[in-house]
Amino acid sequence: MTTLRKVLKLRTVVSSSAGMALATSSYIAALQIAAIVAGELAWISVLVAGVCCLLAAMCFSELTSQYPTAAGIKLFIQNAWGEKIAIIIGMFYVVLGISMVGAESFVLSKVMTDSITIVNPEVDRAIWLSVFILFVAFINYRGVKIAGTAEDIMTFAMLALLAVISVYTISKAGVDLKAAVASDKFTVANVLNAAGLGVFLYVGFEWVTPLAEETTDYRMIGKGMLIAIGVLCIVYALFSVAVWVGLTPEQRLSGTPIPHILLGRNLFGTPGVLFFVCMSVLASVTSFNAGLLNTSRFTYAMARDNVLPKVFSKLHPDHATPWVSILALVAFALVLSIVILVTGQYLFIIMIAAALECFIYVVMAACVLRLRKKFPDRQTDFRVPLGPVLPVVTGAIFLGLLLGIFAGVTADHTGRVLFPNYWVALVMILFFLLCTLYTLLVVPVFKKKAAEKAATRVKRRPGRSRDAAQGG
Amino acid sequence: MATKDEILEALADYQVQCNNNQRLRRMQRDWSKLIHFNSEDTGDWFTMDVVKGEITAFEPGARGVPDIIVTTLSENLCDMFWGDLNPSQKYLDGEIKVKASQEDVMRLDAITMIIWPDV
Repeated sequence: MTTLRKVLKLRTVVSSSAGMALATSSYIAALQIAAIVAGELAWISVLVAGVCCLLAAMCFSELTSQYPTAAGIKLFIQNAWGEKIAIIIGMFYVVLGISMVGAESFVLSKVMTDSITIVNPEVDRAIWLSVFILFVAFINYRGVKIAGTAEDIMTFAMLALLAVISVYTISKAGVDLKAAVASDKFTVANVLNAAGLGVFLYVGFEWVTPLAEETTDYRMIGKGMLIAIGVLCIVYALFSVAVWVGLTPEQRLSGTPIPHILLGRNLFGTPGVLFFVCMSVLASVTSFNAGLLNTSRFTYAMARDNVLPKVFSKLHPDHATPWVSILALVAFALVLSIVILVTGQYLFIIMIAAALECFIYVVMAACVLRLRKKFPDRQTDFRVPLGPVLPVVTGAIFLGLLLGIFAGVTADHTGRVLFPNYWVALVMILFFLLCTLYTLLVVPVFKKKAAEKAATRVKRRPGRSRDAAQGG
Repeated sequence: MATKDEILEALADYQVQCNNNQRLRRMQRDWSKLIHFNSEDTGDWFTMDVVKGEITAFEPGARGVPDIIVTTLSENLCDMFWGDLNPSQKYLDGEIKVKASQEDVMRLDAITMIIWPDV
């Protein structure tokens, strides 16, 4: 079989998967987890969430080995449940996923404002937030790509440094496990509740599936995801404990969205702050850049498939980038970020992202079961072991976590309720309904128009009549 | 099922259409790739050289180590080269499989979109 000149190595698959998950908002999520469970035992919830994500990764691996394409998630659902459901879920997942930028840009702007003053904190936040989003928009618009090796080095360096600093913090501050175990916060319910939020830490690991077409062996994607989750598990478990023991009780209770900056200051003073500022900028830019790259390509493909207005398939005449899609998504991200900036409800977006991930993992587990039933003889390079047991368990776990998120409340570090999470459910249901209505009412209009246009188009291929023109 | 000659005829037209389109040449001016097309139902292979956006050569058989491999039915290949098929739709349906980076997949689709915008 012919192979490609440039193929991705396992190292790049791992770094892409882990890099997507490693974002600035992960730090606040780690502290939030520690606050729910008894601080020093936060690692239990992080590991539980990691193991659950490993199960989900196995489902993704089986599906990717059957459909190794950048159109992955849409294709899995389409083959399992039909095109309409694939469009609804695909749009719901991808567009709502970009809302993560709201939380990420808010936290990053707080990081920068706390470190550098330009005008005043309020104005500075708006400036930093806009600079961050517009910078990523610009490099996407111009088609500037971060070289694979550079991305590998950055991601692995960030993971290694985070692990080293966490170990240093834990060894310096010490851990009182006995007191933590005796705490009334250490309950099964709290561990599971925190694990639901812990899923957020791994958000985006599955975005590596579109890289299947750049590998020589599709199994590498599955292997890469599993390794990435394993590495993230260890690093996050260490960091969630370190951030708790490394902060003073006052800092823990302050409800800060930048616990890593405070940790850096406590450990090393100004150099520590600068170090974590750099980590934040790198993590945010790489995550958002990869997210925007994937999302804009998805939007472009949807427009080419007559699902979205044709204008979204416009390509830049010089850079060959889907500039309308990029600008539309950036405008959406900017508006959302400003709303978060004004309201300060960044935790709302974090809860949405965690719930969205749980939802998509339930869908993927269901796809595995459905496709196995539909195509029982299909050969795949990878199959989730133990027959239907693990996909069923995966679906059940994430459905449970999803319902657990919706049934709970989001509180700050003092225990004050910020909002009941049924608002998260309500927003997601409304958005899902919008996607459904769009798919049922608007998409058929686009498809019909395209079919009519195709029917009147004379085929160029010799011997083909006008009647036989390509449909849809 | 399209024959090898039919696909080569379609490729010849595709080359003319691509190379005569100034907008496409400008957009793809920094895009140089060796592309293999695999007709999965007939087992035929085709090689295409793209140098700075210009299709400089095409031939039957798989020559060299490619940057992009496109696999689909011979009919799809033929229709795609004649501009009678929307490659994105077939790709999203899984009928056209492409081994390449996401950017190359989009640039390949862009050729059809620029030359035949109503497809």
